Amino acid sequence: MDWSCAFTDERLSDYLDGNLSPAEAAAFSAHSAECANCAQTVALVSGLVNRMHKMEMLEEPPQLVAKILDATLGPRTQNEGWKRWFDWVPILWQPRFAMGLATVAALLIVISYTAGLTPAKLKKADLSPTNVFRSANRQAHLTYARGAKFVNDLRVVYEIQSKLQPEPETLPVSTPAPTPEKEHDSQPPNSIPQQKSQTSPIPNRTQVRNRPIFAFLLTESLADGMAEITINSSTRSTR
Amino acid sequence: MRRHSRRVFNLCYRFTGNSTEAEDLSQEVFLRLYKTLSSYKPAFGAFPTWLTSVTRNLLVDNYRRTRRDRQTDSIDDAMPQLEEKHSSARAPDKLAEATELSVQLQRGLARLSPELRESVILRDLQGLEYNEIQVVLQVPAGTVKSRINRGRIELARILTEMGVRPS
Repeated sequence: MDWSCAFTDERLSDYLDGNLSPAEAAAFSAHSAECANCAQTVALVSGLVNRMHKMEMLEEPPQLVAKILDATLGPRTQNEGWKRWFDWVPILWQPRFAMGLATVAALLIVISYTAGLTPAKLKKADLSPTNVFRSANRQAHLTYARGAKFVNDLRVVYEIQSKLQPEPETLPVSTPAPTPEKEHDSQPPNSIPQQKSQTSPIPNRTQVRNRPIFAFLLTESLADGMAEITINSSTRSTR
Repeated sequence: MRRHSRRVFNLCYRFTGNSTEAEDLSQEVFLRLYKTLSSYKPAFGAFPTWLTSVTRNLLVDNYRRTRRDRQTDSIDDAMPQLEEKHSSARAPDKLAEATELSVQLQRGLARLSPELRESVILRDLQGLEYNEIQVVLQVPAGTVKSRINRGRIELARILTEMGVRPS
C-alpha cells in the first residue's frame, strides 16, 4: 500500500485507537519508520494521548456540592440566636435514633439481669459498688457452674449411653435399609407398606430409643449432685 | 452526585480554564438538569451522555454570551492571554493537586479552537467513545473523528512550541 505523509496525519487517531485494518496499520508503521517528520508527529501525539488518558480528574471545589444542593433544593433554613442551641433536637425524632435507644435499653436490661440485678426486686443497698461487684462475681461463678454442670451431664449421659448401646451389627436400626430404587424395582407400589412392616420390628426400636432416656434419668440426679458441689465450692472460694 | 459533579466541573474547567467560572457553570448545569429532569428519556442515551450534552450546550451558550467581552481582532489569539490570566490568578491555588503537565495542558487547550478543544476534552480527558461524542456534539461521525484527530495533532504542536515534551 502506498502511504503518504498526508495519510499519516489523516489516519493518526485511527492508528492510535486501533481502528486501522492490519494492512493499513502495516503501511502506516512502515511509512513512519522511513519518514522522520511523521515518526516525530506520531511519537508526540501518541505520548500526549497516553498521558491525557492517565491524567486523573481534578477535584471539584469542596463547596460545589453544597452550592448545587442550595441552588436546586433551596437553602437550608438555619435557626438564629438562642434557637441555634436546639438544632440537635429534631435528631431525637428520627426513627433511627429511637431504634438505637431501644437497642441500648434492651442491652442494659439483659446485662442487668445477667448480673443478677432484677429491677422489680432492686433495693437501695444493691446499688452500692461493693454489692454490685459481689453480685456480678456471684453471677459469673453461677454461670460458670451451670456450664460445668451441663458439660458433666452430657459426658455422663454419653458414657452410659455408649455402654448400654448394643453392638452395631446386632442393631436392627443400623442395618442398611433397602434403597428406594431396589424396592421400586422388586415390588409393585401397593406392596411397599407390607415390606416396611416386616423389616422394622417395633419392640426392638422402642427398646433402643428408651435406653438413653432411662440412662439420662438415672444419671441426672448424680450429675445434679456433682454440680451442686461445684457451685458450693466456687461460691465459698469467692467469699 | 459527587461523581457527576466532578465530571461536570472537569469538563467546564477544561473548556473555560477558569475554576470560578467552571464552578458557576457546574452549578448552572445542575440547576438546568433539575428543572428538565422530568423530560429525560432513555431514548436520549445514557444518563452520563445526556448530562455531558447539557453541560456542553451550556458551555457553548456561555462561550457565545461572553465572546463579545473577549472579542479582539482574533478570538483564537485573544483567548489564551485572557484565560491564562484567569487561570494563573485563580486556578492554581484552588486546584493544588493539578500537576505541572495538567497546567501546561490547560494552557495548550486554551489555544485550540472551541470545536477542536471540546472534541479532545470529551475523548481524551472525559473518556467518551466516538459514538457518544457524536450524540453530544450532534455532528456526523466523520466530523467527530476529524476534529479529534486535528485537535490532538494541533495540541501536540502547541505544547511542543511551549517547550513541553508530551512524550
